Amino acid sequence: MSTAAATPTAIDPARAHGVAEPASSAFPFAAAGEAPATAAAAADELTVSERVLALDKEIRATPRSLCAERAVLLTRYFRDETPWSEPGDDSSTMVVKKAGAMGYLLRNKRVCIYPRELLVGNFTSHRVAGGIFPELHGLAMMEDLFRFPSRSLNPLAVTEEERRQLLREVLPFWISRVPAAKALPLRAQLRLGAEQLEPNFYLINEIGGISHFVPDYQGLVTRGTDGYRDEAAALQQHTEPGSPAFKFHEAIRIVCEALDHFAQRYKEEALASARICADPARKAELLEIAEVCASVPRRPARTFREALQSILFAHIALNIESLDNSVSPGRLDQVLGPFYERDLAAGILDRNGAFELLGCFALKLCELVPAFSRRGTRFHGGMFNGQVLVVGGTDRNGDDATNEVTYLFLELMDRLRTRQPNYSARLHRGSPAAYRLRAASALARGAVSPALYNDEVIVPLLESRGMTKEDARDYANVGCVEPVAAGKSFLSTDAALFNLPICLELALNRGRRLGKWRRIGAATAPVEQCRSMDEFLESFRAQVEAGVGRLLVDIAAIERANARWNPTPVTSMLVQGCIANARDASAGGAIYNGGGLQGVGVVEVGDSLAAIDYVVFKQRKATLAEIVAACRVGFRGHEALRARLRNAPKYGNDDPLPDGYVGRAMEIFHDCFAGKLNTRGGEYTAGFFSVTSHVAFGKKVSALPSGRMAGEPFSSGISATNGMDRLGPTALLRSAAALPLHRAHNGVNFNLQLAPWIVAGDDGARTLLDLIEGGFDAGCMQMQVNVYDTALLIEARDNPGRYPGLLVRVSGYSAYFDDLSPEMKEEMIQRTQHDGASCRS
Amino acid sequence: MKDGLVFDVQRFSVHDGPGIRTTIFFKGCPLRCPWCQNPEALRPHAELAFYADRCHGTGDCEAACPRHALQRGTERIVRERCDACGLCVPACPFGALQKVGRSVSLDALFDEAARDRNFYESSGGGVTLSGGEPTAQMEFAAALARKCHDAGISVGMQTCGAFRWESFAPCLPLLDFIHFDLKIMNSEAHRAIIGADNQTILANARHLFDAASTVLFRMAVVPGYTDTLENLRDVASFLHERDVRTIHLLAYHPMGESKLPRLGFPISPLFSAETSGGSRSIDGARDFFRSAGLEVTS
Repeated sequence: MSTAAATPTAIDPARAHGVAEPASSAFPFAAAGEAPATAAAAADELTVSERVLALDKEIRATPRSLCAERAVLLTRYFRDETPWSEPGDDSSTMVVKKAGAMGYLLRNKRVCIYPRELLVGNFTSHRVAGGIFPELHGLAMMEDLFRFPSRSLNPLAVTEEERRQLLREVLPFWISRVPAAKALPLRAQLRLGAEQLEPNFYLINEIGGISHFVPDYQGLVTRGTDGYRDEAAALQQHTEPGSPAFKFHEAIRIVCEALDHFAQRYKEEALASARICADPARKAELLEIAEVCASVPRRPARTFREALQSILFAHIALNIESLDNSVSPGRLDQVLGPFYERDLAAGILDRNGAFELLGCFALKLCELVPAFSRRGTRFHGGMFNGQVLVVGGTDRNGDDATNEVTYLFLELMDRLRTRQPNYSARLHRGSPAAYRLRAASALARGAVSPALYNDEVIVPLLESRGMTKEDARDYANVGCVEPVAAGKSFLSTDAALFNLPICLELALNRGRRLGKWRRIGAATAPVEQCRSMDEFLESFRAQVEAGVGRLLVDIAAIERANARWNPTPVTSMLVQGCIANARDASAGGAIYNGGGLQGVGVVEVGDSLAAIDYVVFKQRKATLAEIVAACRVGFRGHEALRARLRNAPKYGNDDPLPDGYVGRAMEIFHDCFAGKLNTRGGEYTAGFFSVTSHVAFGKKVSALPSGRMAGEPFSSGISATNGMDRLGPTALLRSAAALPLHRAHNGVNFNLQLAPWIVAGDDGARTLLDLIEGGFDAGCMQMQVNVYDTALLIEARDNPGRYPGLLVRVSGYSAYFDDLSPEMKEEMIQRTQHDGASCRS
Repeated sequence: MKDGLVFDVQRFSVHDGPGIRTTIFFKGCPLRCPWCQNPEALRPHAELAFYADRCHGTGDCEAACPRHALQRGTERIVRERCDACGLCVPACPFGALQKVGRSVSLDALFDEAARDRNFYESSGGGVTLSGGEPTAQMEFAAALARKCHDAGISVGMQTCGAFRWESFAPCLPLLDFIHFDLKIMNSEAHRAIIGADNQTILANARHLFDAASTVLFRMAVVPGYTDTLENLRDVASFLHERDVRTIHLLAYHPMGESKLPRLGFPISPLFSAETSGGSRSIDGARDFFRSAGLEVTS
């Protein structure tokens, strides 16, 4: 680690000086490195350039749009160029067709270089927009086609022309071809379709395509598409023409050409712009752009800038190919570090130059938004695309991997607070003090990034699911919080979200919703017959098992449909294993496969179970039947019982009773599918993060024994129920650390909100870091820290538009507060704000 | 070892010594400062607190009380009859009755105090013994300090100084710091306002100087009581006498006021009088001590 950039950096020199104090403690998780003394000086030279500020302003000011281009081009390709489906087709034919479609898209989509840009490439035909994926979930999203511009939440501009194209060209063509349902008989199609529009039990995200992976950008910048093309060509020679393997390698070659051509078009555009550019400085920049685009992604990147440009082109192609969600760039500090060092040594780049390019890159990722309908927004609110960028951690040998680019990214996430990328920072026992402090000071100053990940928990967890130690150490997060071996995994980490508390409702009423007669769950024993907690837990387990059983049948059908109709050759090129196995990622070609199923509402279940145990079996103040009767009527007339249930011990207070029940709920969910393989040959794994589904699912569920009223949100991920964590942040963190996190292979999200005054100033950043380190040492896995005064959120809720830049951490990602639904805003306002004044037993 | 009596264990304390700490509030105090912010800490026995705003009048508490110490009306608790057995506490579904002060064994309290070890280690924090007055339960407090110390957990103490030096002295090597509260220096005034003599307190302060322990002298700046020019002058000269360079000032907040009726205390005249001058008062005190050559923290 060199000293120049390995510094805690801040705008205020006095602050930077204070923050630079090395950690003094000698506890196991404490920092190994020392903060260099020259911290402040080097940091303060770093500036967010005029260019980056201007680009940021433009992108924020640009109204978001819906872009029909991808849908229209894809439709034309399959209507006019190559039939979507012909007799004798199978998935191997489809992969070639999809490669052809990618070629068609990249050759025909609009190419545009915006003023001042240094890195080029546009996801859509508009500056800030989202595409429609008619072959995936696009038709369902198009139910809002006439509402997009006028809806109050997340409006999207739609031009008349594009609306016409979507209605006249796209909709008629795809309505009979939507592939996801093809694997199911018609009746099941209709049932699943209806269920998924108003999900009670589970939402299968994989219907909308898979994505959710970390592309092997390391491979891309070192090999170029030439490398992949050569590899595919060499392998193809050993295959029989016309065989599935032959066709797969053909598809790889086609997408390599398509990517190269895409870059060529930007080269030409840059040259054409340069010819008519009157400003000599800009003209030179355009010529430089042309030069970069002439070389990458085809050839290995030679410079820091070429590496970023190469990645950007691939990133755009990946987001066009399939679901534009959670294509996560991964450990870019690791990918870019060597280029940075080399350029610096060669004198062709300085820190500010690199900082500016990183800013340009981050802003490019902000040009993409998801085009969700209002239904889609309920579960995935906040206009995020899940592009996780990870810094820090260890290298494949377990040594600290922090480099100069790590610090540039930390600086960037604090100073240029953008919606995307979704920044994460890895912490391990050997993480340098300066790195930890800079991450903590960014959070203490309210940057809400980075989200923090504990290598000491995650690396063994990944090993336990069969990854090699080296690959586990090279993990990065996908989408929100899901850890995967970078570049080698295709784990469909957000395959489905499962509503656990609804299973509790069913367990209270023999498989029926409260107030309903129709049985939709397992026929479990009436509560009158439950004589112990174990008996009631058995009822709950049976309901979860029944629900998960149905989910697994549905999801397997969706997986098969994706493999048959939605192969992803560009993705396969950039996931290790696919080329060697001559198999598409959607069909299990990756080195690591899997499917991530999220248990939503575990804390609600745990708190409810604890309340039953406490009030019914310990205090003996009420019977289970009385509780059911009270829940049935939403506690009307049962206020005393509700108060008693609410006063029962709750998760988040370092109390083994509720914490244990949350753990039981996690175990029960995990055990329902542990060891089961998906159709891609990988295990299903459990995640306990909720995106915004804890609000959406909460709306569906009756009042519950925790004292929660009908329709209220559950807690987010494994965070405590809002307002119920009363003993302060240390107790809360210990509760989170006490959970069986070894069951959460697919990750958890855990929220901590602190009042600004408790972490103000240099001492405050130190206090926050103390909390983080203490929590990680106790065994916490993940943490996202919001630092703001709840009063500000209330102010922002009451005055939409007054705080356009107010970023908040939702559950595993950041969003502008204004972009959240009213219910989600309310949920965030209700979160416990730890201010150090209310930590009393 | 006899059980200790504590009324609160506050985790994530970041103002009671270095790092992240758990503060143990012992119940019982020999002094009666009219500005006390923790009136629930004063009496050396458990007592019942009534939160009138939570009461829904269900009558469950009356049924649960074996001594008929609970009645309807604004004075819910008949204190002469109440022995703070606590049976009424779980009876109330709304949590309107709370027991203040719990007896706790040394081992149990140590386990509680040690829970946040990870955070003490990451922050250089530990356990702070406070109150009430920890030295009022000297034997127990010392045993807890010993247990923490032996387990490698840093221990500090906040005290009013009203203790017997002989019983306190063995505890001294176990403490990483002492926060020593100075109040009113004039003996007469001290006796009149606080109801006790301050000679022992000041003698103990001198002993602590001589023992060269890490003592931080603190003073709550209470308008009209501790912030008089005479008192500030006395405090400064007392500190100068032993070459103490620093004083830590605590701003006065009428926090204790809302707690009084819950416990059946009469409202102190202090709270009904003018109490808004707190911030002006602390600024004045800060300026005074600075001009007297002391470093002032707050």
